[in-house]
Amino acid sequence: VTEGRALPDDDDLLAAELVLGLLEGADRVAAEARLVSDQRFAAAVEQWQQRCATIVDAGELDPPAWMWRAISAKLAANDDAPIAVGPKRSTLRWWQASTALASALALAFGFVALDRRPAPVQAAVISAPLVAVLSGSDRGILVTVSFDRTSGRLLLTPAGLHIGKHSAELWVIPDGRKPRSLGVIAEHDPSYRPAPSIAAEALAPGAALAISLEQPGGSPSGQPTGTIILKGKLKTI
Amino acid sequence: MGKASDLDSVGATDLPSAGQERLAELLERVAAADRVAFEELYRRSAGTLFAVCFRILGDRPQAEDALQETCLSVWRRAASFDRRRGNPMTWLITLARNRAVDRLRARRSPAEGSLLEAGEIADGRESAIEEMEKDEEARRLAECLGMLDDKDRNFVAISFFEGATYPELARRASMPLSTVKSRMRRALLKLRDCLE
Repeated sequence: VTEGRALPDDDDLLAAELVLGLLEGADRVAAEARLVSDQRFAAAVEQWQQRCATIVDAGELDPPAWMWRAISAKLAANDDAPIAVGPKRSTLRWWQASTALASALALAFGFVALDRRPAPVQAAVISAPLVAVLSGSDRGILVTVSFDRTSGRLLLTPAGLHIGKHSAELWVIPDGRKPRSLGVIAEHDPSYRPAPSIAAEALAPGAALAISLEQPGGSPSGQPTGTIILKGKLKTI
Repeated sequence: MGKASDLDSVGATDLPSAGQERLAELLERVAAADRVAFEELYRRSAGTLFAVCFRILGDRPQAEDALQETCLSVWRRAASFDRRRGNPMTWLITLARNRAVDRLRARRSPAEGSLLEAGEIADGRESAIEEMEKDEEARRLAECLGMLDDKDRNFVAISFFEGATYPELARRASMPLSTVKSRMRRALLKLRDCLE
């Protein structure tokens, strides 16, 4: 796992930028070219892919039952055979690759698939994110909540949260009104997800947030029923 | 139908090595257009890949489309997976993430807000207790993300989950490209060093 670290930080960061899709244009092309010519760089890319996979990994969610039929029907309709990689890999070390293999590698890493569309024009000003640190009587437990008003997404970072078989549910409590649920939060994993729209309206500087312990899956009534364990207020950073 | 939780673990990249071995084997057979192998690969990985798509897109129909595209890419590109170099689940998740992010970018428009709802299933996790025992990796990650300051964390999250490029980030944040870049690089280094 450490071999990639033989690279200087700048190069390792370039690998990260390539994996995340931060680069555009010539920078991107140059980094992709390096992927096939530099073994250590490719190893660093693999490591960043692994980190990225860990970060975006979200457990499991069952796809609908019809999904497999839909997929296999598409295979049949297109007679869409897998693309064979040119040279036989057992006789050619990957870093001695030909250009044909280079494009195969690019495919493997999914870069070509990215199909960079021209970026639609965004509103020029991003509003600063709102952040709250929720705490309670136990100092070891903290949940950081940050709300990106541009994308409408919440980033939740729990630390030290142990809730056994309960679910921890996050609420926003608008001044003088009923709490609105922001959903059940994972105990250990950071999560990044859209805020339910009804609750999102209430996410403003000064709004109170709270986490309550609820039965598994969250409060059945849509209002907090269990103990409030953590509280905090949103502020602009 | 098709729960990958038939496996011993739900931890995706932390699958026990037997699970990973099997996935690698299946990918090799898929590369030779073996449909039976493809179906087994689907059964073992679709739950994980669908969760990734849903987490990024926050919308079920979109996540379903992204999962289909991901699986078709897997079918076509299985030959470019090399088991000596990489973990098969990482490879699959990378494809799913790129597909989902691609969709997210394509649909991004001023009216986007209305598409973003239904956050409730994002943590479609089985048992929190099982998770606690298995997901050492996730816990470390939470700690590491927790170490970043809030702005840095936001930047990192936007890049992992939305696939924004530097110029886009600079536009969205109304910041100079160089500032965005150095902030992101600093945050990525911190993250990496913490994870190591």
